[in-house]
Amino acid sequence: MSILTLGLLFGGITLAMMFTGMPISFALGSVAVVFMYFFMPAASLDTITQNVYEEMASITLLSIPLFILKGAAIGRSRAGRDLYAALHAWMSRVPGGLGIANVFACALFAAMAGSSPATCSAIGQAGIPEMRMRGYSPGFAAGIIAAGGTLGILLPPSITMILYSVAAEVSLGRLFLAGIGPGLVLVALFAGYAVWRFRKEYRAADATFRAGGLKSAYLNENTLTLRQKVEMLPRVLPFVILLIGVMVALYGGLATPSETAGLGAVLALLLIASIYAMWRPRDLAPIMAATLRESTMLMLIIGMSLLYSYVMSYLHLSQSGAQWIVDMHLSKWLLLAAILALVLVLGFFLPPVSIILMTAPIILPPLKAAGFDLIWFGILMTIVMEMGLIHPPVGLNIFVIRNIAPDIPLKDVIWGVMPFVGLMFFAIFVICLAPQIATWLPDLVMGAK
Amino acid sequence: MSRLAEAGLEPQAGPEIVPGPLAPFARALAFVNLWIVRLGSLALLAAALILTYSVVSRYFFKATTDWQDEAAVFCIVGAVFTASAYVQSYRGHIGIELLATFLSPRANRVRAIVVDIASFTFCAFFAWKSWTLWHEAYVDKQTTTSAWGPPLWIPYALMAFGISLLALQIALQVGAALTRRAKP
Repeated sequence: MSILTLGLLFGGITLAMMFTGMPISFALGSVAVVFMYFFMPAASLDTITQNVYEEMASITLLSIPLFILKGAAIGRSRAGRDLYAALHAWMSRVPGGLGIANVFACALFAAMAGSSPATCSAIGQAGIPEMRMRGYSPGFAAGIIAAGGTLGILLPPSITMILYSVAAEVSLGRLFLAGIGPGLVLVALFAGYAVWRFRKEYRAADATFRAGGLKSAYLNENTLTLRQKVEMLPRVLPFVILLIGVMVALYGGLATPSETAGLGAVLALLLIASIYAMWRPRDLAPIMAATLRESTMLMLIIGMSLLYSYVMSYLHLSQSGAQWIVDMHLSKWLLLAAILALVLVLGFFLPPVSIILMTAPIILPPLKAAGFDLIWFGILMTIVMEMGLIHPPVGLNIFVIRNIAPDIPLKDVIWGVMPFVGLMFFAIFVICLAPQIATWLPDLVMGAK
Repeated sequence: MSRLAEAGLEPQAGPEIVPGPLAPFARALAFVNLWIVRLGSLALLAAALILTYSVVSRYFFKATTDWQDEAAVFCIVGAVFTASAYVQSYRGHIGIELLATFLSPRANRVRAIVVDIASFTFCAFFAWKSWTLWHEAYVDKQTTTSAWGPPLWIPYALMAFGISLLALQIALQVGAALTRRAKP
């Protein structure tokens, strides 16, 4: 059988299995086993479990559950609401400040929790009702939160980046730092859009009111005293300290990334115990169970994806796929565009973890050959996968928004999210033109490569 | 299970109700799963504490860190593999549910059963191979390659036990679906 036929068969069967609704982990594992049986030496079937175990038993990958634990501890406490309330208080004098407060709260929370859906849920629960109460249109409010939540996988620590660093064999510390610049660019774009949209909606509300129409909640003044603002601060500081502490431990050379994950989880649990008195077994049990559920689901997908890519590589499918892309002799930027388009389409259906592990062996060699920096590309790939999180048909964040604000029609949510998808495209364009946005910080902290 | 569950955000939905003759079996499995979640939670906490200890002892006492990473790996691998049946009991292993929206309810039931049988076959095979791996490691007294060198049969046993339980859980779900069909 030619390698092309084998590749098509492999891809076709994978797609067919996945679309039956079989859990992704079992589908990938089954495809791997079936192809091992038919196309690989009989002995290879005897070592599949050893294969999976050895791939998974890396302390880098196994730091993922601990990052999830840290996020779950923060996400299930009142931290999100407090963080949001404080930012809101301090931004209340800025025009469009409420929208900006929501974007900032999402970014800060994402950096602490490391998960997009958890960020959406924690900040959205407080932010969406507040914005709607102040007259923001429901779609706009939903869009801010859905898009703000995506910062979770771009700002460190990010689970998808851990996987990318393993798949692309690049430094995790460098990759984490590279996410910060582009993350801030997106925060600025989202906040800028929020202000622009606020002014537009405000003017419309104002005109309606002047023409004798209803007075929108937009036009209500709302000021807080300095004392009220200062009282908000102590609730946020511990979490900012956690954030900074973890970064210092990691980049000050005190801890490896996996140790940072353990340290972060312990610190997060200590913080919620001391601030929100969440220390009893009945407070902690839901946090631990949620962590265990999400970790198990993710780690099985990761383990089976690794087995899957091992088979792909043994059968020379990934190498041939990569060679095929190289042989097309696409111009550098066309190659990048084509690969990002592929990631975008996959992102409509698959979670980021499987996209990275399944495609990395095929798409990374051609990109490397074309002279692209793989850390920089990791950032672009992450932003593109973020779009999948807020894009129909299966954008995870859209589902989260539907859950916390069920009365906003799906159509409004989708239309509210679309401008942010546009902003993300724009950010990708900017980061292509100025790669330094991603690379200057890692170069500054860890020295140029 | 919905995509929300993937994020651990879904409100606690109980495991599927299993009727008829399989009920005692389901209760037993649910009991085992409950304890696995408790032990798995402790294992995750232990891993976090071990790694924290590793940082602290190195920084303050200049102690060498040789066993911490591996101990944390064992804790986490054990927790993750043994909890896989619990996750399956909530249908927490996500798949692409696109086809389900196009099929009639009847066709969907058939699809779900076929998918579960395929999942069971894979997990049963994987469980079998895990036990042979465990046996080999136990008989040959295999250890990891580090200086600490703990025996490898420990994590292998946890993996084999966890995946076997997962296969049992899926078998139970297939059984439950078939009995439901027999008694509409």
